[in-house]
Amino acid sequence: MSEENFQESVFVRFSVLQRFLHIIVMVGFTGLAVTGFSLKFSAQWWAGGFVWLIGGAGHLAYLHRFFAVITYGCVMVHVLWLVYYKLVLKGSLTGPQSLFPKVKDIQDLLGHTRYFFGKGKLPSFNRFTYWEKFDYLAIFLGMNTMGFTGLILWAPEFFSRLIPGYFINLAQVLHLYEAILAVALKFVVHLISAHLRPEVFPIEKSIFNGKTTREKILREHPGEWEHIMTTHEQS
Amino acid sequence: MRNLLRVKRQGFMSRTSFAFACALFLSIPFMGSTRAGAVAVEVPRDSSGWFVDLNRFSESAHKNLTCEACHGDMSDQGQKHPDTRDTTRLKSKATRIYDYQRCRTCHRESYERYLRGAHAKALTEEKKTPVSEGFLSDRLKAPTCGECHSAHYDRSHLSRGATGQAMTDTCGACHAEQKATYLENYHGKVAVNLRDEASAYCTDCHGAHECVSLKDRKTALAACQRCHPDAGERFAQFVIHPTTEGLARDNKEKQKHVTIIKIVTLIMTIIVVLVVGFFYGHSFLWLLREIHEKLRKH
Repeated sequence: MSEENFQESVFVRFSVLQRFLHIIVMVGFTGLAVTGFSLKFSAQWWAGGFVWLIGGAGHLAYLHRFFAVITYGCVMVHVLWLVYYKLVLKGSLTGPQSLFPKVKDIQDLLGHTRYFFGKGKLPSFNRFTYWEKFDYLAIFLGMNTMGFTGLILWAPEFFSRLIPGYFINLAQVLHLYEAILAVALKFVVHLISAHLRPEVFPIEKSIFNGKTTREKILREHPGEWEHIMTTHEQS
Repeated sequence: MRNLLRVKRQGFMSRTSFAFACALFLSIPFMGSTRAGAVAVEVPRDSSGWFVDLNRFSESAHKNLTCEACHGDMSDQGQKHPDTRDTTRLKSKATRIYDYQRCRTCHRESYERYLRGAHAKALTEEKKTPVSEGFLSDRLKAPTCGECHSAHYDRSHLSRGATGQAMTDTCGACHAEQKATYLENYHGKVAVNLRDEASAYCTDCHGAHECVSLKDRKTALAACQRCHPDAGERFAQFVIHPTTEGLARDNKEKQKHVTIIKIVTLIMTIIVVLVVGFFYGHSFLWLLREIHEKLRKH
């Protein structure tokens, strides 16, 4: 590849698997939120109307568990990919270009906040910014804890043989409050930071078509460009 | 130029409609709280009184009975009914004066269950404590038949769901915290809000007419196992009504569990408020800055 082509070429930001998992999690998470909050707010007319449309509480429970299975399926596929990436592809799961949280993320957050108040420039973000790491880690940890508490509520007869019965109550409390947290963050904070803020409005396409450009990397993730250049020069 | 204008207008439209859709979506949880579980068949919950609406009586379960069938020669506890000089009598609650042993004539099974149950025990206890106003007092809370059923107005052949919906309000009139916690529980949401008759109503666990408290672990487990046959001993530790209202003072174990549930709820609330507050503030400042950058370039 000539130097000129390299400068202009399109880069792959997300692999086919990552794009596919994002869509499934997007559908699964929305489905979980809609069915779950239809139960939580079942006294409201809109929730009651929705449950009536899908055919009653039994179907609501079935759909919620269906979405839970496909969403948690994504977690398992993703973990298998991480293992493959680490062991077979010899990739780095904790390096500066990975999603692993670093001290730099706190510095970036402080620098970014200073930028909000007009007291400094945008920090030089690496491949994944601190809010992208938070989005990823929050949903990765969240889906595991939601999956665990959800499993307890799915089979309380079985789990109450292992743990005291009032732990089912605690599982309910954790499941509810984490759901509120997840919905409040994903449907508002993630949508704004990833898609709706003026810089990227109306949609960030790279998570759907996987493509990004040199210009975009330089603007959004300048730290990654330095990394690409050094590895390019070495090869 | 024309194309350019069209694109611009479309962009404007999509943004406006998008903002509208956002506002609509975010306001959904705050919209009117019309209960989805409004009772399908309107069941009058008011108990019998001195005044009888004969139109409604003619639609009730007892419509084929004559007045004398229940009220005999119209005398109760030595007092004749049409005693116009006795003003105190009509001021008292009719359900507190009527001798409900007469219900036994037809409803023997229900009556005997009532006698075995917690409400009859409470009535016996209540009668032991001397009250100066006697049977006229509002301090008397233990229910007899008439407190829950209306002999004049209650209809027969209601569906399980309609009975259950009405029961939630009837029991909830005295056990308000229990009603509230039941409606927060999966059983209540599904049975009352979503009208699924497969779920449990009050009497499915506590028993009709016996109305037991279920603080005895074995009784509670037996109640659970009617629907959850695989339930083990600790399954009955699940707290359906996480409230200390009306909880026996010697039930230290459940008190502890309720306290733990409340503490975890409080901690989770604080975490949610802090995390959401932080990130909403962060997003808001970020949006202001980026909008400012866009406007400055114009």
